[in-house]
Amino acid sequence: MLEVHDLTKRYGAVVALDGATFTVRPGRLVGFLGPNGAGKTTTMRCIFNLAHADAGTITWHGDEIDRARRLRFGYMPEQRGLYPRMRVADQLSYFAQQHGLAAKDARAAAVRWLDGLGLGDRADAKLETLSHGNQQRVQLGAALVHDPELLVLDEPFSGLDPLGSETMSAILRERAKAGVGVVFSSHQLDLVEDLCEDVVIINRGRIAAAGPIDQLRAASARRHLEVEVEGNANAWLAGRPDLNAIETRDDLARLLVPADLDLSAVLAAASAAGPVRRFSFQPPTLSELFMEIVRT
Amino acid sequence: MSRTRAIWLVARRELLERGRSRAFLLSLLLSVAIIGIGTFLPTLFGGAGKAKNLGIVGTPPPGVPAAIEAIGKRAGQTIRIGSIADRATADADLTSGRFDAVVVFPADGSTPTYVVKERSDQLLQQLVYAAFTPQPQLQFQQLLPADPNRDTSFLFANVGVILLFISIFTFGTWVLTGVVEEKQSRVVEVVLSTIESRDLLIGKVLGIGILGLVQLALMVVVGLGIGVQSGRFTLPTTTPSAVANLFVWFVLGYAFYSTALGVLGALASRMEEASNAASPVSLLATAAYLFSLFVAVNDPTGTAARIATFVPPVSPMVVPLRAALGAIEPWEIAGAIVVMLAAIWALFVFGGRVYSGAVLQSGGRVRLRDAWRSSGRG
Repeated sequence: MLEVHDLTKRYGAVVALDGATFTVRPGRLVGFLGPNGAGKTTTMRCIFNLAHADAGTITWHGDEIDRARRLRFGYMPEQRGLYPRMRVADQLSYFAQQHGLAAKDARAAAVRWLDGLGLGDRADAKLETLSHGNQQRVQLGAALVHDPELLVLDEPFSGLDPLGSETMSAILRERAKAGVGVVFSSHQLDLVEDLCEDVVIINRGRIAAAGPIDQLRAASARRHLEVEVEGNANAWLAGRPDLNAIETRDDLARLLVPADLDLSAVLAAASAAGPVRRFSFQPPTLSELFMEIVRT
Repeated sequence: MSRTRAIWLVARRELLERGRSRAFLLSLLLSVAIIGIGTFLPTLFGGAGKAKNLGIVGTPPPGVPAAIEAIGKRAGQTIRIGSIADRATADADLTSGRFDAVVVFPADGSTPTYVVKERSDQLLQQLVYAAFTPQPQLQFQQLLPADPNRDTSFLFANVGVILLFISIFTFGTWVLTGVVEEKQSRVVEVVLSTIESRDLLIGKVLGIGILGLVQLALMVVVGLGIGVQSGRFTLPTTTPSAVANLFVWFVLGYAFYSTALGVLGALASRMEEASNAASPVSLLATAAYLFSLFVAVNDPTGTAARIATFVPPVSPMVVPLRAALGAIEPWEIAGAIVVMLAAIWALFVFGGRVYSGAVLQSGGRVRLRDAWRSSGRG
């Protein structure tokens, strides 16, 4: 289990991390969310000792992360990059060796992963001759080639076409199923909601929310209420000035309401105004939750 | 995995990737061509091929002049033999350049003397000596003391400095561009998730340095080979130590300059900025080179040369130069090596920290001070 505890990092006057604390469990897919500049990349760099925290600890299964442990992790930085003129298989084999694999095993792993990524026939091609999408696959390969116990991916979905996203999702799911802890940052909140069990939401260097997505949604003090009363043009809302409408269109009203709202009273008021065609009471989506959190 | 293996993996990657690159092959070909031409051209124009004029004073044993001509012909060398009335005329003709060499046969039949003006054409001398059977002990005489400016050691010293400068700078620049390439392509962040930044720099310097040694060795072998084969020079007794000094000081000078260039490369973000970032070191190296070639060579035991021996950026060129001229004390070489090693160590400590701090920062030039600070831990 990866445990990030009370991580603090300043760049001059800028506070990048302000006591960030969260965990990533083996076999779980964790979405790491936050607006730009919230501290996601800095956190990931700290895990790989590429940035040095001013305070706080990062441990793996309870132990401080030394180089030997770090070599069992896989990293895909936000700024993609590989050796442009190096052959693809040589490249993956090189990174596998840098992660501690013997030359022969590294070669075998490189070939296996290239086959798995659908690039088996390009093993001897120079990276720069590959299409952008295929270069991205090789980049993922570089993070995976040594079968890491923990995968840390910074914006792995950015720049991928739908097909590429699908492949990436499938591989991440499969890795998590194999017991690997996977944490990745993304701005595609719907995709994260689809893919992940857990999320960590970071805002201005602090962890604003962390845990299983369903629990976070259920724990929200607000609900989204949609009511459609036929032919009423939302006139019934006038009788409930306490209800906060986010959007009204034709006969449909979208409301943000407290979780403990007396629903039967609202339904009664709507029914009295006309035939109710829609009445839905939902916890906020991840995307809505995220907006609530980062706007406060 | 040990640090040593990580460093070796980096070095090996550089060796394999660059070793089979067109740039390296081209560099090898070019360096061999330069050395070949440099060693061979004077021979072509002033040496073999052109007819040699040999003067004879007195009466040679019968058959000797014919033998000299025949041996010359077999060696592809035309030797014209002319009689000279007496020794005084012979000296005048040698001085004026009418004759390349003169053999004086004393009337009493004692040992003949082989006389040259100041520098003996080795090929001609060998051919003439070979014509005497059984071989007599020819006496050898130079009219003027050998001019050090035309001595083989002088040639060695000059060529050595040029070779060092070319080698150190070619491969130092590869380290520079290698560092910038890794930064520009952003691969450095992936690499540094597995290896310490210092070790990456060490591995890079090591791998490219091995290629540099290969090229230097090739140049030395080709240069000496052509020189000796063509009879352009015979190896002076200082050769082994001069060659050893060349290699030792390539290693030291390259380690020093390539590390400095690698560190400066980390401050640049794009290739276009690299040469700018490297300019302080390029200027320093050029100054050291010019100093060696124009100051130290003329007065290798002078105060300036003696001081420069212990100044790290200059010593890689001055020490082998003085060694080639036989104008350096062993203790000076030892002292210079110690100072140089200390300088390289200091550069690795200081530069390694700057490199660590700068290599992950992108977007424009990184300032030295910022790099130093951002690498501070804790």
